Amino acid sequence: MERLDETRWKIPKGYRPDMKVDGIIFADDVLIDSIRKDVAPEQVANVATLPGIQMASIAMPDIHWGYGFCIGGVCATDPDESGVISPGGVGYDINCGVRLIRTHLDYDTVRPHLRNIVETLFRTVPAGVGQSGKYHFNRSELRQLMAEGPRYLLKRGLATESDIDFTEAHGRLDGADPDLVSDRALDRGAQQCGTLGSGNHFLEVQVVDQIHDEAACQTMGLFPSQVVIMIHSGSRGLGYQVCDDALTSLRGVPEKYGITLPDRQLACAPVSSPEGQHYLGAMRAAANFAWCNRQLLMWQAREAFASVLGKTWEELRMTLLYDVAHNIAKLEEHTVNNRQKKVWVHRKGATRAFPPGHPEVPSQYRGIGQPVIIPGDMGRASWVLAGKPGSMEKSFGSTCHGAGRCMSRTAAIKHAQGRRIDKELELRGVIARARSWKGLAEEQPDAYKNVDHVVEVVHQSGISTKVARLRPIGVIKG
Amino acid sequence: MREYFEHTADIGIRVICPTLQDIFVEAGLALFELITEKIIDVKPIQSVPIQLKQKDRDLLLFDWLNQLLYLFETQHWLFSRFEIILSVDGLEAVAYGEPCDSQRHPPSHEVKAITYHQLKLEHQSDGDWLAEVIVDI
Repeated sequence: MERLDETRWKIPKGYRPDMKVDGIIFADDVLIDSIRKDVAPEQVANVATLPGIQMASIAMPDIHWGYGFCIGGVCATDPDESGVISPGGVGYDINCGVRLIRTHLDYDTVRPHLRNIVETLFRTVPAGVGQSGKYHFNRSELRQLMAEGPRYLLKRGLATESDIDFTEAHGRLDGADPDLVSDRALDRGAQQCGTLGSGNHFLEVQVVDQIHDEAACQTMGLFPSQVVIMIHSGSRGLGYQVCDDALTSLRGVPEKYGITLPDRQLACAPVSSPEGQHYLGAMRAAANFAWCNRQLLMWQAREAFASVLGKTWEELRMTLLYDVAHNIAKLEEHTVNNRQKKVWVHRKGATRAFPPGHPEVPSQYRGIGQPVIIPGDMGRASWVLAGKPGSMEKSFGSTCHGAGRCMSRTAAIKHAQGRRIDKELELRGVIARARSWKGLAEEQPDAYKNVDHVVEVVHQSGISTKVARLRPIGVIKG
Repeated sequence: MREYFEHTADIGIRVICPTLQDIFVEAGLALFELITEKIIDVKPIQSVPIQLKQKDRDLLLFDWLNQLLYLFETQHWLFSRFEIILSVDGLEAVAYGEPCDSQRHPPSHEVKAITYHQLKLEHQSDGDWLAEVIVDI
């Protein structure tokens, strides 16, 4: 690996004979040491072999070993240069993402009610393995929901215009074709819209802990000690199945188009091929489903706060700050080698971070850049950042998506033996409730890199800028 | 023999058995041991027939685990015993278990998917079969 500058490292094209572009990893001296020990850089190089890849195979400082693509990667392909679309570059959890909800409450006001709020959230928001949600959609309703995204929920009284305005892509990718979503996927998703899931997904009550950019905080409606709510979830079983179906139907397809892959999990098809188009139609439907899922999770959080505090969510001013996807592929306009072109940007564990002035940033935020929401771990912090101009040239308008794991799940369980993670968190001022002890153990703060460190790297590298640091006070996990 | 191996964000299942048939049985059990805390609490009192067509053995193992996961996700089945007959072009199996009852079957992991990443099924030099599958958590 060659050092490019303070925060960028290059895996030169010659590392593998079939690499079409360099690999670029965003990291500082300390993070690169741990990244070198992981399999992830190898995966960055593998992705650089994909047909039609532009500029570089890029990885963020929260990079870690994934399946096929690393987690924390960005890969853009040009359909006019035989570029491919790859389900592995999006991941199983299509449109996994994060949303942040403001309240007008401060920590002192909420503190006496916090335990009750956490218990109520834990009781009312479905989370964990095999849990069904309270919202039921029949086949035809599910298809409408996937075609329209949260706008469908608006008609059902479960979303507002403002919720839609502050969701990336207005919660709807054009070209979604629900008829391409298999019955198996519909079966898995039927009862899961409005459920949190398990693993690293969570619902957290947080407090604004540090202000780094006062003007941006003012625009975003953030103030010191403010209580906010962060939701991290995706497309649930429906999206996992769409990815799985695509990987099954792509068996043998790369060979058909003369594509040799270094890893079967990188399965792909030319964007223009029938197989590529099929995946795109289904993937976009699953992405819209995910936005509805986070919308319904937010709706239930609003109801829980309202019932505990005896006021409506409107009175509590529980408005959506922003919702970002961090596992998705989107057709975007970028400048590559001084040429403007439309490319398919795969972000797998990376967040869009469009700069000030970009037309896709909601008008309220256009002066400061797109809000970026970075979940950290449940003991330390999460962050709000904003997109910066450098992101377009350096990373296809992308930044990191979280802290990134540094401990495997099995190692985390060993590390947690004989400990009560919930009690330890309580000593740090965090009330945590989880359905599974193992789930809590695997997600313990030590299992993650320090998010402050990861955020510092993306801040220094100029692909996004620090706005506010958030500290968890209540955690719901599956 | 079944065990789990490390993967940064996910979990690997490794099974080593004298016969290919046992590989499928053990891999199925390993999957449900990830999903619920104690597989011993899953009573094999109801049965579900499963038929799969797939000539490639490693892909058949993938499809098998995938089908079990699908039955859990959509119908909440937990299984603790399997009878499997392998043929040249697939398998016929009966899975024994019961629907998940969250009181008696505390959840452990949500398995999102079976992955192809480093999928391995091979006949080793000592005569045993070895399979490795990484599941997405």
